[in-house]
Amino acid sequence: MRTIRNIFLAPSALVMLLLVAAPMAIVLYYSLLTRGVYGGVEWPLTLENWRRLADPLYLHILARTAALAAAATALCLVLGFPLALFISRAGPRKNLYLYLVILPFWTSFLVRTYAWMFLLRETGVINAALMGLGLIREPLGMLYTPGAVLVGLVYGHLPFMVLPLYAALERMDRSLLEAAADLGARPWQAALRVLVPLAAPGIRAGSVLVFIPCLGAYLTPDLLGGSKTVMAGNLIQNQFTQARDWPFGSAAALALMAIILTLLVAWVRREKEPLL
Amino acid sequence: MRRMLALYAAGVYLFLHLPLAILAAFSFNASRFTVWEGFSLKWHRAALSDRQLIEAAANSLVIGLAATAIATAAGTLGAYALWKRRSRWMTAALHISLVTPEIVTGISLLAFYQWVFRFWGLRLGMHTVIGAHVAFCLVFVVLVVMARLRTLDPALEEAAMDLGASEWRAFREVTLPWLWPGITAAALLAFTLSFDDYVVTSLVAGVDSETLPMVIYAMAKRGVSPVVNAVSTLIATGLGVLILVSERLRSA
Amino acid sequence: MRRRVFLMSLAGAAGCRRGPMRLNVFNWSTYIAPETLANFERETGIRVRYAVYESNEEMLARVLSGNSGWDVVFPSHYCLAPMRRQGLLAPLRHEWLPHLDQLEPEFHKPAWDPELRWCVPYLWGGTGILYHRKLTPAPESWASMWEARLARRITMLNDPAEVLGAALKKLGYSVNTGEEAQLRQAQREALAQKPLLRAYLNAEVLDQVVAGDVVAAQAWSSAAQQAMDESAELRFVYPAEGFPLYADNAVVLRESRRAEAAHRFIDYLLRPEVAALNHRTARSASCIRLPEELKRNRVLYPAAEVLARGEWWTTPPASVQRLRDRLWTEILSG
Repeated sequence: MRTIRNIFLAPSALVMLLLVAAPMAIVLYYSLLTRGVYGGVEWPLTLENWRRLADPLYLHILARTAALAAAATALCLVLGFPLALFISRAGPRKNLYLYLVILPFWTSFLVRTYAWMFLLRETGVINAALMGLGLIREPLGMLYTPGAVLVGLVYGHLPFMVLPLYAALERMDRSLLEAAADLGARPWQAALRVLVPLAAPGIRAGSVLVFIPCLGAYLTPDLLGGSKTVMAGNLIQNQFTQARDWPFGSAAALALMAIILTLLVAWVRREKEPLL
Repeated sequence: MRRMLALYAAGVYLFLHLPLAILAAFSFNASRFTVWEGFSLKWHRAALSDRQLIEAAANSLVIGLAATAIATAAGTLGAYALWKRRSRWMTAALHISLVTPEIVTGISLLAFYQWVFRFWGLRLGMHTVIGAHVAFCLVFVVLVVMARLRTLDPALEEAAMDLGASEWRAFREVTLPWLWPGITAAALLAFTLSFDDYVVTSLVAGVDSETLPMVIYAMAKRGVSPVVNAVSTLIATGLGVLILVSERLRSA
Repeated sequence: MRRRVFLMSLAGAAGCRRGPMRLNVFNWSTYIAPETLANFERETGIRVRYAVYESNEEMLARVLSGNSGWDVVFPSHYCLAPMRRQGLLAPLRHEWLPHLDQLEPEFHKPAWDPELRWCVPYLWGGTGILYHRKLTPAPESWASMWEARLARRITMLNDPAEVLGAALKKLGYSVNTGEEAQLRQAQREALAQKPLLRAYLNAEVLDQVVAGDVVAAQAWSSAAQQAMDESAELRFVYPAEGFPLYADNAVVLRESRRAEAAHRFIDYLLRPEVAALNHRTARSASCIRLPEELKRNRVLYPAAEVLARGEWWTTPPASVQRLRDRLWTEILSG
């Protein structure tokens, strides 16, 4: 009973050890060092980087990041659930519809983000359409706002919500919904009381796959926020490039990960089944 | 209800594909700017003759396929192993991998590689990028396959073994067929993550392993260039055709 | 010449596993005309792998490791001292740079490398304000970038030194100051300006200025010239309070195992006809001698009295660098 299971576990375990655990240990080590003047790290060891994190300035950024990530996750769920439902019921064309969801995402995230910048600009397509229809007189300032970042986050993470939802819904027994209808439930009641609980593993997986990357997002707020909507990911990335403070960046990164990990564990503990 | 759902799905697909459609439309624009100035293929021609772009696209493809293959194989087997019996260390490591922001994955791997290479005189290159992609794709494969495994009754495998099948046979003939939708979904996800990755790749890529996102980022940073539009249109069309063909072959 | 190429390619073939001799060049975007690389390859048989970056920090992050794989990079002049201190640069062999005398006289003995032991100056420029003609009254000083009437239509560069530099000049200080009080004052100014800004952008802003979304942007002179080439509605001004100057230089990295090829590439760029060709793409003031009619451009080659207001960047001492970096983090987070 043991042998096949251990053999199966070996490749993943090797990847985790070499490419996740060891690098993380190095980041921890960096967080305790002092910054090199032009980047990199050097001795002596210090706790200064960790102490600096307690500044309300950085806590403010964390709060903003959490709010945006939560909003993006909620929107993805609301938008993605009906779509996943539709695909799971689509019969023989299932795979096609699935690929259609993913296809935009093989054309480069950057290009799609630039497409949104193109659309959202004052001289962009959306404003042109709205003004042409007479709905507004002055172009709306949509780009470089938190709203633009939110749109970008939702757009970039939708398939990560749809795929797990589909995987869970596809398995579902259709007759349960029929039974609920027979018992007098309206369609939306059946959806809420039968569908959603059955799709719960998919909802959990999807939410995790959206919320967590959003917390660490940096390209989207960078391009659509114009360095004005600064999220935690931007702060960390900045420390490794412009601000040349690797140790502080390492400490901030580990702090963010610790917070996320705590939330994850606390949330998962309330569920019956573990996530992984 | 059925019709509403279909209508809604159409709406979401529109939302997903509209930016692409606009990009494609403007890739045929003779002018560089948002003002339409006539139909032109010059940007597409430029994209197809750009040696750097083609090399980068080839690199992205190779890295994507390699990383997907490794991550899906390792991840599926790993998810199955964890489903049979939990492992606290593995679960902890997977959780950590999940919560790591991309920039941190990139930096940590860069530091790790530099450290290792000091002993072996190696350089950053395709191998480091593939390794990095496997590192961050693995946990997503495990997640998706695990979600699928949870819907399987463990009694089925036990029944097979009671009837005389070996462990491996039970896996291959009972569990694996059930898992295929999950494995396919996981592989798709892994390829998407790998093909599209900029942050991690830009940090661990060597001189010879420039990928498509890196080249596009560099071009796009310099402003709206219709060549970027042309490239994405070409890729989307190419992949779309590939998928349609594979679907046709599968159902044939 | 041919024999050298032949012998070199033999040596290269012995050393490499495949194909023609390679050279890896890492440069600022648009600094080289597309034909230049093809011409160089045709003439020397050396295949150039060329990649671009948008900031010194991006380049340094790669190169600091000491085995990045790049042979030739182009740091700004104030990065040279740190790179030298870290042992990243290879000393230049002047005998392999016959066209070195093609440099403009003022760059034969630049302040940052009087003997040209480590670098060859390539392009130079200054920072100013690029604005749309419809903006009246036209901006003439950094103070104009703090006007409330321009809210959400202006951008500053995504560069810590430039943002603080503009604020320092507005306050009447030197861009290179190391005094904490002055720097903190500049930081306060930058924070006061932040709500008025549309974004902190580098090259991406040019499109938006041309389109009219942005009416005034802090920009480097070469980027501004490129935008002005696209649209006749744009103007550029070097602010009255003063402005910083920079020069980007070609260097050979110590880790490079292709020193001679690297020198040949740099020497190729020094040739007058090649420099003139590159100028058409780079649109920057060149440290290499160009025909007189190209130097009449007042955006790239400001008049003497304007140039007198300019201040060359200097490499700050370690403690000042740390302070400036921290101030930038606080500006971004605020």
